[in-house]
Amino acid sequence: MRSARILDKGIKSRTIRKRRREEKDTNRRLQTILFLVAAIVILTAVTVAGVMTEGYAAETDFSRRNLAPDLQHPFGTDWMGRDMLARTLAGLSLSIRIGVLTAAVSAAVALLLGTASVVFGRKADAVISWCIDLVMGIPHILLVMLISLACGRGFAGVVAGVSLSHWPSLARVIRGELIQLRQAPYILAAEKMGVSKLQNIRRHMLPHLLPQFLTGLILLFPHAILHESSVTFLGFGLSSEQPAIGVILSESMQYLTTGKWWLALFPGAALVIVVILFAMLGERVRRLLDPSSVHE
Amino acid sequence: MRKRWISLLLAAAVTVTALAGCAGDTAEDQSAVQQRIENSSVVIAMDPNSEPEAGFDPAYGWGAGEHVHEPLIQSTLTVTNTDLTIGYDLATDYTVSEDGLTWTVTIRDDVKFTDGEPLTAEDVAFTYNTVKESSSVNDFTMLDYAESSDDTTVVFHMTRPFSIWPYTMAIVGIVPENAYDSATYGSNPIGSGRYILKQWDRGQQVILEANPDYYGDAPEMEQVTILFMEEDAAFLAVQAGEVDLAYTSATYSDQEVEGYSLASYASVDNRGFNLPAVEETTDSEGRTVGNDFTADVLVRRAINIGIDRQEMIDNVLNGYGSPAYSVCDQLPWYNEASEVSYNPEGAAALLDEAGWTVGDDGIREKDGVKAELNLLYSTGDSVRQALAADFADQLGVLGISCTLEGVGWDTAYDRALSDPLIWGWGAHTPMELYNIYHTIEGTDSAEYSPYSNSTVDEYMDQALACGDLEESYRLWQQAQWDGTDGVTQDGDIPWVWLVNIDHLYWVRDGLTVAEQKIHPHGHGWSIVNNVDQWSWKG
Repeated sequence: MRSARILDKGIKSRTIRKRRREEKDTNRRLQTILFLVAAIVILTAVTVAGVMTEGYAAETDFSRRNLAPDLQHPFGTDWMGRDMLARTLAGLSLSIRIGVLTAAVSAAVALLLGTASVVFGRKADAVISWCIDLVMGIPHILLVMLISLACGRGFAGVVAGVSLSHWPSLARVIRGELIQLRQAPYILAAEKMGVSKLQNIRRHMLPHLLPQFLTGLILLFPHAILHESSVTFLGFGLSSEQPAIGVILSESMQYLTTGKWWLALFPGAALVIVVILFAMLGERVRRLLDPSSVHE
Repeated sequence: MRKRWISLLLAAAVTVTALAGCAGDTAEDQSAVQQRIENSSVVIAMDPNSEPEAGFDPAYGWGAGEHVHEPLIQSTLTVTNTDLTIGYDLATDYTVSEDGLTWTVTIRDDVKFTDGEPLTAEDVAFTYNTVKESSSVNDFTMLDYAESSDDTTVVFHMTRPFSIWPYTMAIVGIVPENAYDSATYGSNPIGSGRYILKQWDRGQQVILEANPDYYGDAPEMEQVTILFMEEDAAFLAVQAGEVDLAYTSATYSDQEVEGYSLASYASVDNRGFNLPAVEETTDSEGRTVGNDFTADVLVRRAINIGIDRQEMIDNVLNGYGSPAYSVCDQLPWYNEASEVSYNPEGAAALLDEAGWTVGDDGIREKDGVKAELNLLYSTGDSVRQALAADFADQLGVLGISCTLEGVGWDTAYDRALSDPLIWGWGAHTPMELYNIYHTIEGTDSAEYSPYSNSTVDEYMDQALACGDLEESYRLWQQAQWDGTDGVTQDGDIPWVWLVNIDHLYWVRDGLTVAEQKIHPHGHGWSIVNNVDQWSWKG
């Protein structure tokens, strides 16, 4: 009797604990999803707002030069009377769009190379790994500069430089995963049953890859954005009338010693926030998709 | 826990010592300044670009080029006076032959180089022959060769008449023939000028010391230290009281620093746009040349009088500038007919007359074509960018829609053949008029912007061929406007000039800077042209 009660109690408490954990789970999941939605909304809003304010951001009005932040110009104005909020938005938007392009290019290249190294066997794989190592061996910022100089500097140069230099890390992850998967029993079984290599990859391997692929993709954004802004900061990229965060920051350096703090602070902080948002986004997506952490 | 306390204590100790160090620094600074005043020495902050890359060798651009200034370490044959006429340094007299092909210059016989050797006409001839051979900065094609006829007479044989040769003689420092080695001279110069190069730490500083054997008035400043600093570093050095004079720009002009005042010197450091004066075509190299909109002289005239230059100066230069109407404002060869007054109604009328009428959106049109200009500026130059932006705003009011584009100097020269580019000029020689407006031999256009006028060319050719300097000034002026033809408002106006930028400096109270000639384009060594005459008060 007694022991049964104890047992009963034990079962009860265990179910309660389990339920609690489930509750917490759903909360975590829900929270993560809410966060994802919020982050995506914010980033999209910044991108769209930036595109829309591009004209206004370039507008000069010498009657409102060097104004400290106030209600009308929350980020202040610069030495030509341009609104810093509009310039910051336009700059971030440009960075994010370059990030999107970079992600797309890198994803395509990574998938292609990864697939090729599985489909075409050892020798192709050796060549591809060699390529990846080669590109990764060159200091990243240097590579960006080299490509953008080779592509004629300016806007096209920066876009080419940033988007063509970020694929190796993703390609390496994809290649590694695919090679590991090739030996998985279910793949071997499928192969024995006569499924062609390409079909095997498409039907059995890619769905398995998706979590790593998506996470890797999103985590490319912060890199791309920071590289774009550092290249423009160093003066290798866009010319000074174009709204880019790097241009804004390098201009503001001239004015720091005269106490115009708002020229660097707000755009710099905004850049950091966007980068952090992307990094957190990638982290959360990974947790949500990765089977080993999805039930945490 | 204990560790944390120890580290906190250590941090505090470090801070205290650092602060104490700072306090000591200020006191040290004070006494350092006192020391400098007693020893008549001065510390100057200059732009890092002013540091002569190839050293202090006249054959490699020292004193010459875009940033003309007196070479200080070497003597020159002539000098430019404060009103930019010609005076003598080493020379005692010069004459030119009838045909303008032979210049004979007599020089002083009491001058010694700092290694003790006397300076003779042979050294002068050697210098000019060397410079002609190796100078990549200046044009010496008009000189055939130089020779000495005796110890104090040097003869220049020219390839073509060149009346403004005295202005070239004002920038070529004389080097000793016996001690000149082109490999080492740049860092170990021997001259006969007011100063001796004492020390040169590349990328940091140059220390000059007064030449005790100088043949002229002994320099008042015994030692001149020049530090090369970026603009913001120079400003911080002023705030810290480390320098006595520092270059600065309009960006900093609204600041106040205790113990310093802001000095502003007039310049011909002008900024202006070229307006391509021919219709758009493609040349043999595949470049686009000409601009359909600015090809119309009425449009160019409208732009010239439709610009409020004073507003530009107030907006962009914080008031530190003067309106520019030519490439050579206030110099002896300047023609005052270049000056125009701001007249927006007149500009609108000219555009109407040219057929450019205001459309529904406020932008002028002609035969369905919009009045549009793409203005170029050198990217990274914030003053030029702001001037271009203000120019674009003002043209917008006139109904001309403008876009801005920053370009690097690698492409700017080619791009400027079809789009207006904002340029900076201003030299102490009339040759600049020639470089900008004269048709290049064998082509049908001037060098930097498509334009050609045979009347203007002829006046400049005459000016160069003319035997008398005074007379040549008049011809240079006529090249600008002779009453019917020229490059001014009533003429072809192929360039529109906007502003002359005043050169600004922070000057420590008590330092008297001697009267400056109108500064040329470079915001560098010009300020120390007469550093030997500077003095400390009290």
